[in-house]
Amino acid sequence: MSLLKRIDDLSDNRKVRSGWFVFACLVFILVIVVPSIFVVTNLFTDWELVDLVLNNEGIKDTVLSAVFNSFSIAFIVTIIDILVGLPMAWIMVRKNFHGKRWLDTLLDMPLAFPTAVLGISVVMFWISPDGISIPGLGLSLSPYMMVILLHIIFTYPYMVRSLSAILEQIDPNFETAGMTLGASRWTAVRTITLPLFRAGLATGFVLCFARSLSETGGTYIALTMMGVQTSFFTGPSFISFLKSDESLYTSDEMMGAQILISVVMIVLALVLMFVVRKFIAKFRIPYQKVWPQIGRKVSQGGLPKLKDGITIAFLIVIVLLPSFYIFMYLTEPMPQMDYGTLLTSIAISFGVAGVAVLVDIAIGVPMALYIARHKNGKLGQILDNLVNVPLIIPTTALGFSLSLFWGGFGLDSSFDLLLVIFGHISFTYPLVVRNLIGAIEEVDPSCEEIAMTLGAKPFQAFSKVLFPIINSAVIAGSILAFTRSLGETGATTSISQNVNTVPIYITHLVEDGLYTEAAMCSIVLIALCFILMFGIRVVTGRRSKRDA
Amino acid sequence: MVRIKLEHISMRFGDFYAVRDINLEINSGEYVTILGPSGCGKTSLIKVISGIWTPTEGKVYFDGLDVTKVPMEDRDVGYVFQNIALFPHMTLKENVAYSPRVKDQGEEAMESLSTEYLQLVNMLARAGMYPRELSGGEQQKVAIARALASGSKMLMLDEPLSALDARVRMELRYEIRRLVKKLGITVLHVTHDQEEAMSVSDRIVLMRYGTIAEAGSPLDIYRKPSSVFAANFIGETNLMECTVSDRSKSGKTKVKLRGGREIRTSKTNFSVGDPVVISVRPEHVYPAIDGLEAEVQSIVFMGTYWRVRTLAESRDYVEYNVPADEEVPEVGDTVHLVFNKKAVVVFARPQGGIEEEIRLE
Repeated sequence: MSLLKRIDDLSDNRKVRSGWFVFACLVFILVIVVPSIFVVTNLFTDWELVDLVLNNEGIKDTVLSAVFNSFSIAFIVTIIDILVGLPMAWIMVRKNFHGKRWLDTLLDMPLAFPTAVLGISVVMFWISPDGISIPGLGLSLSPYMMVILLHIIFTYPYMVRSLSAILEQIDPNFETAGMTLGASRWTAVRTITLPLFRAGLATGFVLCFARSLSETGGTYIALTMMGVQTSFFTGPSFISFLKSDESLYTSDEMMGAQILISVVMIVLALVLMFVVRKFIAKFRIPYQKVWPQIGRKVSQGGLPKLKDGITIAFLIVIVLLPSFYIFMYLTEPMPQMDYGTLLTSIAISFGVAGVAVLVDIAIGVPMALYIARHKNGKLGQILDNLVNVPLIIPTTALGFSLSLFWGGFGLDSSFDLLLVIFGHISFTYPLVVRNLIGAIEEVDPSCEEIAMTLGAKPFQAFSKVLFPIINSAVIAGSILAFTRSLGETGATTSISQNVNTVPIYITHLVEDGLYTEAAMCSIVLIALCFILMFGIRVVTGRRSKRDA
Repeated sequence: MVRIKLEHISMRFGDFYAVRDINLEINSGEYVTILGPSGCGKTSLIKVISGIWTPTEGKVYFDGLDVTKVPMEDRDVGYVFQNIALFPHMTLKENVAYSPRVKDQGEEAMESLSTEYLQLVNMLARAGMYPRELSGGEQQKVAIARALASGSKMLMLDEPLSALDARVRMELRYEIRRLVKKLGITVLHVTHDQEEAMSVSDRIVLMRYGTIAEAGSPLDIYRKPSSVFAANFIGETNLMECTVSDRSKSGKTKVKLRGGREIRTSKTNFSVGDPVVISVRPEHVYPAIDGLEAEVQSIVFMGTYWRVRTLAESRDYVEYNVPADEEVPEVGDTVHLVFNKKAVVVFARPQGGIEEEIRLE
């Protein structure tokens, strides 16, 4: 109590408040932003290593094709997400039907699955790889196709969510107005609603693109199960492959290759984000030309139903079935498991994720408050853009960069766990802060002002008024960050070989061909995730019921 | 010019009836306001007429033609929204030209129609601007121009003025009426503002709980409301519970207030002993030397007159008006009040009591 009172009193002091904000900024810049892109400086300090790679045609081609694969796959995946995400957003926002809440929950489920698990499950579903006793569809797919199918699963929910968020803000009366003026639904959507979508498209595009670009664990596992992990690479899977063998990643050439691949991916990703933002801000969906007859035809009869049917079918066949296919292993006899290692890795995973989320909230709240309330200020805008940086950077590159940065301070392998936590803070931080900014912007600043005219100290106004209002956004952001951290493979491997989180453990099992064990670990992890999420929902659900 | 006819229209959501069994005819070129407290189903009704919703039961006819199943884009009903809903990414001109554009009437029609209707609402000078550069009242004018440019002969106005400032609201409502009368358009105007309804409409349809409570010209509803609810909702009135004490063969009636005071009312068909409610508007209550005894509770200056609120000997609150330049009593004074007997309207006493009958939600 006395501590709270002291905080209250301290918060009255302007200097203390700015001090706290400056501290949060410093942590953000020094622990999150700078280490994330530090590797770029190695391009100059270790140019001779990079030069080795550039002079070796074989490795150079591998690196370039890996980068090309990463970017082209991310692009294709994002475009598919937009095409099938738009009708799904419509279903989620504009339609009311029984079971909508179920659909809502189902949509987010792939986010709770660690991507390494999805990798196993998806390959099992589509093809019948060697060593797997459970029959799949047995299609013969190229690694490229396989990775696309995999990436759609965990990017699709992001796309649907960001599109839905924008659609919810677009007044449905616009469409209705258009239709009372004689436009068919298709024409109204195309000429009115879609042109208003720009911002949402940009966010969704960047989110999905970045997510696909960064994904490591699932991709590497899928490629391993197909037996092509040494011949087909994406940027992150190449680093993963190098890390799988100590003689590889310590060699000068491969060090150079890692630096090159990391720098190229970071720079390209940042440039791309910038270009997409600029391009989409300028881009106008043309609405001048209309084709009333075509519009009418596609708005009537069975076509709209067919479109909804295809959308739902896509969700089920491409997203949900492959995700849940791993549960087929429950029909198999229990394998001999190394429970000790599994439990240790679970403890590490939950510990890392928990600490990362707590730090995110502690330093994310002052940052989000500042950005949300100073959206038009120069510093506010700069910070707003900077917050996205760790989200855009492929996590493997981020992890590699981080290990180089802190390695420079002499933090050797005994600090690995700490570095892994730093890494996880970096890529989860934007998720928490983005959610918070969104929520704070919704709250009328006069709420806090009124509290203060009634005698509340700034910290009281925050803790008693603002925080209870944005509570659910804090929880949503935390769940997102927690599950993201739990499922992360790339950042963890590239930082350290010694920190065995669950996804890393699963990856090792797959590398050793122990699919059944890997599947069982996955199922345990998924079960734990769901118990956790369900628990949080029950607790918060009860609270909101009491409030209502 | 379109005649609208509704037959047994119901709009049901689950167990809840937004609109229940409505029958209504609207003449060609008529200006009808649908008035009622919020949640009474007035917006639902025009959404059904314009085809935004399909009624769960009943039929909609335009000029005798059943259009119940015709989708809204083919129904040719102009609709103006409370939140205006101008397309934010289009200029005013593009907004107004939207209907000719989506109907593929060609560049020429788009140009001439948008010019014509922007001119009509005096907004042509700003044709190239975007909606956000306009004030609310100006935006709503453009929205009306947009609805009219569709060539529609029916206009649904969904609380078009309630988002605007009081002064703008006043000016705009007369302008709308002038405009649609000039064009001979049939209008349904939804509002919860009884003053607005009184001042612009040919006919008021008063709705409550999804049904029509009463319909008639503004003057008729004001002078001879047929329910306690209508008397209270439209205009201001004093309601008093009483019992019929005397009625002559010609219908001249006297009622007894609580406390025994007897009052003469307009002619009725009630019998002696019937429990009734009388309604008398403040402008028909006068202070006199003798009459209903009442104690002054408060006096408020309303701008052009004083409103005096009293507690009568019958334990009813009775309000009356005093012209601005005349002397008013002081709080605590005892006054004697008489009513203009022709303006005293008598209703059967509602079973749930007056409070229940005049409740708004």
